[in-house]
Amino acid sequence: MLMFENVSRVYPDGTQAVKDVSVHLKKGEFCVLLGPSGAGKSTLMNMVNGLVEPSEGKITLDGEMLTKKNLQTIQRNVSMIHQQLYLIPRLSVLHNVLTGILPQAGFWKSMIKSFPQSDQKRAFELMHEVGLEEKQLMRRASELSGGQQQRVAIARAFMASPKVVLADEPVASLDPAMSRSVLNSLKKAAQIHGATVLCTLHQMDYALEFADRIVALRNGEVFFDGHPSDMDEEVQRKLYEIERENLSKQQDATDSDNTETAVINPEQKIGAVA
Amino acid sequence: MSTSTNHLPKRDWREWQVYQAVTPKTIFVLLIAFMLLAWSGHNTEMDKAAVETGKAVLSAVGIGDSDVLNGVSKFGSQAFPIQFSTRTELTRLEGVDLQNLPWLSYVEEGVSREYDVDTDTWTEEKVEYLVEPIGYLNKVLWMMWETIEMGFWGTVISIMISLPLGILAAKNYSPHPIVYQIARSWLSFHRAMPELIVALFLVLIYGFGPIAGVLALAIHTSGVLGKFFADEIENAPKGPQMALSSAGANSLKVLRYAVFPHVLPAWIAYVQYIFERNIRTATVLGIVGAGGIGMELKGRWDLFDYDHVATILLIIFISVVVLEIFSQKLRNKTL
Repeated sequence: MLMFENVSRVYPDGTQAVKDVSVHLKKGEFCVLLGPSGAGKSTLMNMVNGLVEPSEGKITLDGEMLTKKNLQTIQRNVSMIHQQLYLIPRLSVLHNVLTGILPQAGFWKSMIKSFPQSDQKRAFELMHEVGLEEKQLMRRASELSGGQQQRVAIARAFMASPKVVLADEPVASLDPAMSRSVLNSLKKAAQIHGATVLCTLHQMDYALEFADRIVALRNGEVFFDGHPSDMDEEVQRKLYEIERENLSKQQDATDSDNTETAVINPEQKIGAVA
Repeated sequence: MSTSTNHLPKRDWREWQVYQAVTPKTIFVLLIAFMLLAWSGHNTEMDKAAVETGKAVLSAVGIGDSDVLNGVSKFGSQAFPIQFSTRTELTRLEGVDLQNLPWLSYVEEGVSREYDVDTDTWTEEKVEYLVEPIGYLNKVLWMMWETIEMGFWGTVISIMISLPLGILAAKNYSPHPIVYQIARSWLSFHRAMPELIVALFLVLIYGFGPIAGVLALAIHTSGVLGKFFADEIENAPKGPQMALSSAGANSLKVLRYAVFPHVLPAWIAYVQYIFERNIRTATVLGIVGAGGIGMELKGRWDLFDYDHVATILLIIFISVVVLEIFSQKLRNKTL
């Protein structure tokens, strides 16, 4: 369904972020992208999102090319759960979820925050699926805990019945118990709605626990691709090694004021400002 | 004064540059600033103000004599007791039902003395007066209410002008850089027109009365509000806007959902401030005939009716304080 065919991406400054990636994802698959920062996870996601164009190769969704020219296809079929969530703090939880279908909503009705009953029922259903309750319906998003906000973001992403949901580090700022519960909600919602999930994580144990498929990247290349059960100790040990190696490299990077990480993930900068 | 240290070579910490709080440059700049202040202060007679005020204070404790204090006591002696009542000859009033007088009022008998120039004689006549103990207070209160209404409508019209202009003047939501420039300069043009001068012209156009005052307030404050609105929109967090627009929502929807909820509290605070300010300004606008309590103030001032002036000033003062308290409570609720 979602196919990466020999996809490469070279940034203008010469950084090879993604190199010859070929991955075929099936409908409803929960795919976790593993790898240290700078491995090309975000670039891969942003290419599905239309924010970045592949330099070589192509990405197709049910046969349709995903490029900037096909932005409408992308917007209709792909939704994104951002690492910083980007919920609207002063808006109610219900309306935050409903903004998932804002592009399709009628203009004048949406201006007075009026949404058809069917949309609202769908929002209720999604909120129930991810574990939100009625008492949270009219609370402001900013009043919720981190885990609950994450659930709101998940519900919003599924609101427009996307074929693909991209989740960028969905549990980066949560404690382990909450992380498991949120990932569970995400997986459950994906199963119910038959959406393919492409999710970046940096904790390997969560990947092993939840993923239907793990794609591990290293320096932009696919280092491992398969079911979690195929991941033997040898592979795991190597992944840990990459992680450690990368950590020491990051230390150097901050010392010499390298801007590489900023180029690879432009959204993170926006988030830091906001 | 932050000097860039990027160009410096890496060296031992013992040789690092010490930070100097006061340099010859600072002293020189301070000296120049002081000279400018002295020159400008003399231009605006700040030195004289200090001397005169000092004299007045000394005179108040019994040392020397002061023109300023004399002025204050002259006004004070004429302003008190302040005037609350009205006293009108019954014959000058039409349609007064003596059986059914207005609330609190009563009829008083008095003597009217008239001087005849031709015969050089005084004629005394018994007349009846209608006395209303709080008649003047009542009148002033009504005029204060009119002033508050002027402030209110000035604010409403100001919002109606500044809301669309503010959106057009926000860089990230303006449809075109030229539109942005036009909206910004339009707003600064509105801001640059002082209410009193605008009111002066509008009185020529619309005649005496509150129309001129309301429009003058609206024109000036829409420039202020519009700039606030535009700046708030520009400074709203980018993340949620990006999340909605990248999902395909058009910019008006993004504005409605990701920007308005965020900027609303600040907008309400601005509008409240402008409303308060408009009421305060509306009290003055009457001086050029643009309606409100200022018209009465100017009239009484020119007639040297300082006891009436004192009533007006008292009412203005009380109203402004009450409105401020009320508005503070409202603000605490909305934020």
